[in-house]
Amino acid sequence: MTFTNAGTVLLIEDDEIMLKVIERILLKEGYQVLVARNGKEAMQRLEQGGFNLVITDLMMPYANGFEVISKVKSSDKSKGIPVIVISSVGNEDSIMEGFRLGADDFLKKPIMAGELMIRVKRLISTSKS
Amino acid sequence: MKLYFADTIFSPIFRRYFFYFDSYPLVIQIAIILTTIAITATIIAYGSILYRRYSGWKRDRRLAKLNPRIDDLITDTVILNEELALGTPPEKIELDLSGFARLKYRDMFVRQALIDRIMHYRKNFVGDLGYLLRQLYIDLDLEKDSVKKLKSPQWNKKVQGLVELTALDMQISDVNILPLTNSKNRELRAEARHAYIKLSKNEPFKFFDIATEPLLMWDQIELFKIITTNKDIVLPNFARWVTYSNNKSIVSFCLKLIIHYNQTEAIPAVIKLLDNRDHYLRADAIQCLGKLKVEEAEDKLVSIYNNQPLNCQIEILKALGRIGSGRHLEFLKSEFIRSQDFDIRKNAARSIIKHGALSQNMLGDLMSVSSEENQLILKHCMNPLIKY
Repeated sequence: MTFTNAGTVLLIEDDEIMLKVIERILLKEGYQVLVARNGKEAMQRLEQGGFNLVITDLMMPYANGFEVISKVKSSDKSKGIPVIVISSVGNEDSIMEGFRLGADDFLKKPIMAGELMIRVKRLISTSKS
Repeated sequence: MKLYFADTIFSPIFRRYFFYFDSYPLVIQIAIILTTIAITATIIAYGSILYRRYSGWKRDRRLAKLNPRIDDLITDTVILNEELALGTPPEKIELDLSGFARLKYRDMFVRQALIDRIMHYRKNFVGDLGYLLRQLYIDLDLEKDSVKKLKSPQWNKKVQGLVELTALDMQISDVNILPLTNSKNRELRAEARHAYIKLSKNEPFKFFDIATEPLLMWDQIELFKIITTNKDIVLPNFARWVTYSNNKSIVSFCLKLIIHYNQTEAIPAVIKLLDNRDHYLRADAIQCLGKLKVEEAEDKLVSIYNNQPLNCQIEILKALGRIGSGRHLEFLKSEFIRSQDFDIRKNAARSIIKHGALSQNMLGDLMSVSSEENQLILKHCMNPLIKY
């Protein structure tokens, strides 16, 4: 188990299993994790700040992932924070819309945990530098 | 002292309604019988609803306690597997199942909950984790439960078994699955066919050989999606079924696949289909030849045109437009001028226009000599915003 704080990740996911698994993997890799289970909680977390990376689902109750990306990228406080989208919606329009709004990466479910970790590490180190 | 039912407080009511029942008029008797049946049926229906809801509530309550335990075990055993983290290849990892033994996983309810949970995890994770989740399913002997469901007399259980085995990429023996691909039950048949295509590594289309039940349009769409999105699938020459299958829907579906995969080696078999007695199949074959732009089929298409029903004639006109060699522009022109049928004229016009530069002069002539209605058809077809 790693105890160093490699960064703080805001994880937004309404699927309890995905949320729990990704949270455990991130914790194991030494990240601190803030979680939000729907769009409403996500918006509150975004107001509070204190994270280096956002991982978000697209389809969620109250506010969808696109609104989350817009919120992150429109605020001066958080616009430099990278956003990874994880979604089962993998059509071209959704991917393009996500990138157009400022998402930095897109992973389609089912995902590979190892691949997610590499992308998280890369984006956090890029944003820190 | 023995107390009889008739002596209770209900006795006056029963005396009134049953002792003198015979003396009532027939209409009243029927009304009493129907009312009694209706009340009894309502009570049974409400009782059954209540029972189902109670069972559902009990199941949910049990699952609410069980699922977090299963999640913790899967997370500890698979997701946070130490050996995997150290870089051991997943196929060399032996999973520690001691935690699952404490879960009493021999209990059928627990086993089903485990299957559902593993399937859910596998929907979200592939790669090494996906491999280990499948391994966990095998190590816990859950595969046997799913295979057992395939032998259940209930069709919904069979579908459940197929869904589980497909989700976990388990091989199913042909003996178990092939009969299901030809089941009388539409849902079961569709699910078995999907499963067969997904799971059979060598001959995913073998069930085409034995299919006697029709492949409905919705099934075709679903199968088409599975086939065209599965990169590992071994593609056969679909001409095999175009030539030999007695199942018209299979032939029609194979023609669509021939178009999608541009299987030019199947063209001779498709041309032979032009002599088939079924005009729907002929229309599909003509469409296939047009989409594959088979120039050598043009003469045959024109020669059979006059003996065809309307749907085939329209397909021939469309095919000539798609092929666009220009050798039969005069034929298209004569059909446009001669025909009284609106669809024929419209499709002939579209096909002439599809020839592009080759038909420019002809279009100019047609615009000047055509009737007002034909000029409108030509203008409509020339509009690039109207797709067909």
